[in-house]
Amino acid sequence: MKFLQHELDYRRAMQRQFTRREALYRMGAGIGAIGLAAMFGDKASAAGVGSPLAPKMPHFAPRAKRLIQLFMPGGPSQVDTFDYKPMLAKHAGERPASVDKKSLRNTKMGLMPSPFGFKQYGQCGKWVSDIFPQVAQCVDDISFIHSMHTDIPEHAGGILMTNLGALQPNRPSLGSWLTYGLGAETQNLPGFVAMSPRAEPRGKGANWGNAFLPGAYAGAYVNIQHMKPDAVIGNLKSAGLSRQQQREQLDLLAKINQMQLARLEQDQDLEAGIQAMEMAFRMQFSVPEVFDVSKESEETRKLYGDSEFAKGCLISRRLIEEGVRVVQLSLSIDGYDIAWDTGHENIVNGHAALAKACDQGIAALLTDLKGRGLLDETLVVWGGEFGRAPTSEGAKGRDHDHYGYTVWMAGGGVKKGFSYGASDEFGLSAVENRVHVHDMNATILHLMGLDHEKLTYRFSGRDYRLTDVFGHVVHDVIA
Amino acid sequence: MKSVPASIPTGAWAVVFMSLMFAGTNLSAKEDTFTSEQIEFFENKVRPVLVTHCYSCHSAEAKKLKAGLRLDSRARILKGGDSGPAIVPGNPAKSLLSQAVNYGDPDTAMPPKQKLADADIAALTKWVEMGAPWPGSDAAASRAEKSTKAEAYDWEKFRREHWSFRPIVAAKPPKVRRASWVKGDIDRFVLARLEAAGVTPNPAAEKRTLIRRAYLDLIGLPPTPEQVAAFLNDRRSNAFAKVVDSLLASEHYGERWARHWLDVARYSEADGGFGDQPLPNTWRYRDWVVRSFNADLPYDRFLTEQIAGDLLAEKPDPAGTGFFAVGPTYVGDGGDPEAQAQAEAETLADRVDTFSRGLLGLTVACARCHDHKFDPITTKDYYAIAGVFRNTRRENFPVVPQAEVDAFKAGQQAIKDQEKQIDEWLHAATKRLNLKRPEVEKSLDEEAKKSLAELRGELERRKKSAPPMYATLHGLKDSGSVDMPVALRGDLRKPGEMAPRRFLEIVAGKEAAPYTKGSGRLELARSVVASDNPLTARVIVNRVWGWHFGEALVRTPSNFGVLGEKPTHPELLDWLAADFIQHGWSMKRLHRQILLSSTWQMSSHFDKAKFTRDGDNRLLWRMNPRKLEVEVWRDSLLAVTGELDRTIGGPSANQIWESKRRTVYASTSRTGDIYQADRFLRLFDAPAAVSSAEKRVTSTVPQQYLFMMNSPFMTGRAQVLGDWMRGLSGPRAHHLRDTYERLYSRPPEPAELQLASEWLGKNPAPERWHRYAQMLLSAHELIQIQ
Repeated sequence: MKFLQHELDYRRAMQRQFTRREALYRMGAGIGAIGLAAMFGDKASAAGVGSPLAPKMPHFAPRAKRLIQLFMPGGPSQVDTFDYKPMLAKHAGERPASVDKKSLRNTKMGLMPSPFGFKQYGQCGKWVSDIFPQVAQCVDDISFIHSMHTDIPEHAGGILMTNLGALQPNRPSLGSWLTYGLGAETQNLPGFVAMSPRAEPRGKGANWGNAFLPGAYAGAYVNIQHMKPDAVIGNLKSAGLSRQQQREQLDLLAKINQMQLARLEQDQDLEAGIQAMEMAFRMQFSVPEVFDVSKESEETRKLYGDSEFAKGCLISRRLIEEGVRVVQLSLSIDGYDIAWDTGHENIVNGHAALAKACDQGIAALLTDLKGRGLLDETLVVWGGEFGRAPTSEGAKGRDHDHYGYTVWMAGGGVKKGFSYGASDEFGLSAVENRVHVHDMNATILHLMGLDHEKLTYRFSGRDYRLTDVFGHVVHDVIA
Repeated sequence: MKSVPASIPTGAWAVVFMSLMFAGTNLSAKEDTFTSEQIEFFENKVRPVLVTHCYSCHSAEAKKLKAGLRLDSRARILKGGDSGPAIVPGNPAKSLLSQAVNYGDPDTAMPPKQKLADADIAALTKWVEMGAPWPGSDAAASRAEKSTKAEAYDWEKFRREHWSFRPIVAAKPPKVRRASWVKGDIDRFVLARLEAAGVTPNPAAEKRTLIRRAYLDLIGLPPTPEQVAAFLNDRRSNAFAKVVDSLLASEHYGERWARHWLDVARYSEADGGFGDQPLPNTWRYRDWVVRSFNADLPYDRFLTEQIAGDLLAEKPDPAGTGFFAVGPTYVGDGGDPEAQAQAEAETLADRVDTFSRGLLGLTVACARCHDHKFDPITTKDYYAIAGVFRNTRRENFPVVPQAEVDAFKAGQQAIKDQEKQIDEWLHAATKRLNLKRPEVEKSLDEEAKKSLAELRGELERRKKSAPPMYATLHGLKDSGSVDMPVALRGDLRKPGEMAPRRFLEIVAGKEAAPYTKGSGRLELARSVVASDNPLTARVIVNRVWGWHFGEALVRTPSNFGVLGEKPTHPELLDWLAADFIQHGWSMKRLHRQILLSSTWQMSSHFDKAKFTRDGDNRLLWRMNPRKLEVEVWRDSLLAVTGELDRTIGGPSANQIWESKRRTVYASTSRTGDIYQADRFLRLFDAPAAVSSAEKRVTSTVPQQYLFMMNSPFMTGRAQVLGDWMRGLSGPRAHHLRDTYERLYSRPPEPAELQLASEWLGKNPAPERWHRYAQMLLSAHELIQIQ
């Protein structure tokens, strides 16, 4: 049933494409007869004339159509946010064998209870730290995964592992894989948009890079501190021409190119180019619109609040509404690229400020998506590249912890008000139903209708995958 | 499409075979007939778990065998260790192995440090349930026992049957029917294949097309109208040969062809790795490549200098070793040993990958964790090569006379000496006055203050007069001479058997001489260019062919292995390679040979019948029409507006939009997000410099047209061109003719004149000219080579 529904959606999307093109033709773009045949015929798309971002059939019926990744670089501490560990208070200062594991800085301190209070929320009675009071209100829509683990306790490698499924920056990012696998439901925007306020997460472009996938699958990055649509798509605005003047100008170019096409009789690049040019024309007007949050209702804007991150959340919603496949929004405050790493010296100040910077925006996004009926088909994933140890570093801080940490998912086909896996009694290591980053990525692909073992790209004699040779879909979190 | 994942951890063959040598032979193997699915399950899901989590204590590899238990052969597992058989096939509940991994009893919970992932435990359980499938039989085991060394591949079969491992044999150019078409031996091979297929080659391109093609191909700039006219008027039979010779003699040739090589070298001006720090002197490597092409440095020497230029007995020069030295170098960002090992492993993987795909057309990096699944490349091969680079480090070599280096060092020493003197003076004063150091200065008398000030004044003078840091280049230097072990599953902290440094076994044979001199780089270079190496020459002539035609004879230029494509014209490829070696590995000679062929000179014209027959042009019935590389396009735009700065070489320009220099001189980063040029180049399909590029792909996306419509670069060029057109005297048709000649090397057609007059009207405002010019510059014709 669901599959049929998707099939219908897909055909509708193709239909929309077609009529848009047709409308353009009527608008007077004046595409020559040869070009026309090539552009509209099935044969043409088989020959690769179509846009690389045209929607593609998934492997099976998807549960989520798009992904919003709320990326928390730096390593948020699980035991101070969503993984409640009352045992920490009982054993404060002790260093039992189960937590006596090497951390990055190899700290030898004892257990440190969370400085924050925890309360129970929702029907599911989830314990949530006081620093996330608003996300706490959404727990009945969330699946918490408390048994995440990853390969290394270092930011650069950990961040790449999370976003690329590899420790080296020469692999395509998750968002690139998804747009490669599924295309996008818009031809006026990039299929994959990465955003952060202020600093880009460590590793920069690699986190949304296409590596060896075709360039159309690269994420477009925008710094939401400045919020210039021109940053998403270069050269979006004409310096001095009106829409009418631009139209004239493009008609001239179309004619010049058609004469060339007539001389050549057939040229795939040129035919595709004539089509791409028309899309470029439209993008100039559609892109600024999507980044302009001033058109949102007063109520909506109030829901999100004024923080930079919240603005990013609101834009994320607008982007996926327009058909963008993947949005990655990273948290950064004070220009620090690994925001949550402020936890080394002082969990109280660092984490409280960071949670405050994103709590309302995240809750607003979930509420807003739900209110618009979009949450069911939009997968929202929250988490960092690893967590922080329940033992202390110095007097008040915590060191990196890759043995176990928490990530949560909401919407698009995941269980509601659910917790999966468990860390040990103090929260250092994932012990029950362990989920590696590869498993998480496999699960994300699965929810989006892609088999992580089949989504491959042949590069230099070898079929690459997001999950390399690893990854198991965590079926238990799927509703 | 069958999925062939990157690093299926089915490796550790060496471990397996070694263990079989000791395997008991009288244990029954009635489960000998496992299905291929079962064996595949074992290889994919079970063996990797055993290798990774168990073998450091329970295999022949174990430093100290624990509990007398070995898990590296089925027989050993059935025999078990101190506690008895490890498994009861078909019955996980009764199997000690299952109990251990399920952490049933804390004393025997295995692996001791951390419980296995659930999926791994499930796989082991299922495997025991299946009856513990294991590849090979006891018969095979006993065979392995008898043979002194079990083989990973049938080497001779590969050498005999896979085209790229066979020796290069220069066949006699074939006879053809239409001998009049033949200008050189290349044409014989191409025409013979066309004739056999019953397809006729396209007619020769007309002279205008030909000269434009030659300019764009060889120097990456369009010809001027005068150059076109001179060629059109030259009726001599060698007119075109003269054009080719003059282009090969132009310094712009080196710029254009260096850029091709820089794709292979995954050249960028930043470190890559995790941080992508800028490397200030990478341009010296780029300039070395440009100079080498211009000087027609023989290709064998070109490669030797890039691998081991610093080690040459005669005229040592480290400049070429930038090929490796400017590659991505990974460092951990903390002190975690696991991360350090990862970083080193990634750096080595880059070196091996760039080396093997770039120079040999082999994907040796696939053998980092396991023997190659398809090609005859073992992990030992990988670590034999990696070992060479592990004994090598990056060094900043001075590029100035020694006197300048000495002067810099002397200047620095003088500063240090003075600092030391001040320190000693203060130390003495501290003692004399019996005060703490920070309080001393406040308590000095006038005279003492004066002498301290003098000492400090002298320090300032020395700092000012010290010569600045001398210029350097990034090159390679030997740092040791030790072999490394195979890293089990690619993890440097899990050493397997030693992998002596030597060349690939498939090429050099089992008795390949080990490399012993320093890192072994010079010996490695000798192996690469050895006359009996069948790969090196084939790989480069194929690449050069591809750069001239848009498609190479082997359409996977960096993969000559089993999964790569086969050559469309194998005899031609071999003939070219043999001829190339025989004539001193001269690139310029190869270019000349290709450009003077009828094959290269064919028109690119569409032909419906032939296109239907062979749309991919594998038969070579026409020249491939294609989009130009982005560098050539930008350079052409600057050339036709008369703005191009033709300075050769030197430091790169960070600000590409302010610079009028050729695009090869733009700064680029590895992650593609640091310099102005990064985004622009990527938009127009320049490869990401994260790994050696096999070939360029072309894509057509709307953003390219936004660039043409709105970028300040395009509007700027349009103004220059528009103003130039406006300033021409005489009738407008002449303006347009001059413009078309300048941009497209041809006069306009009547319809184009008509279009122009419609757009421009009677007395066009300057702005109208500019907008017209911008569309002429955006036309597809300028970004295409016909």
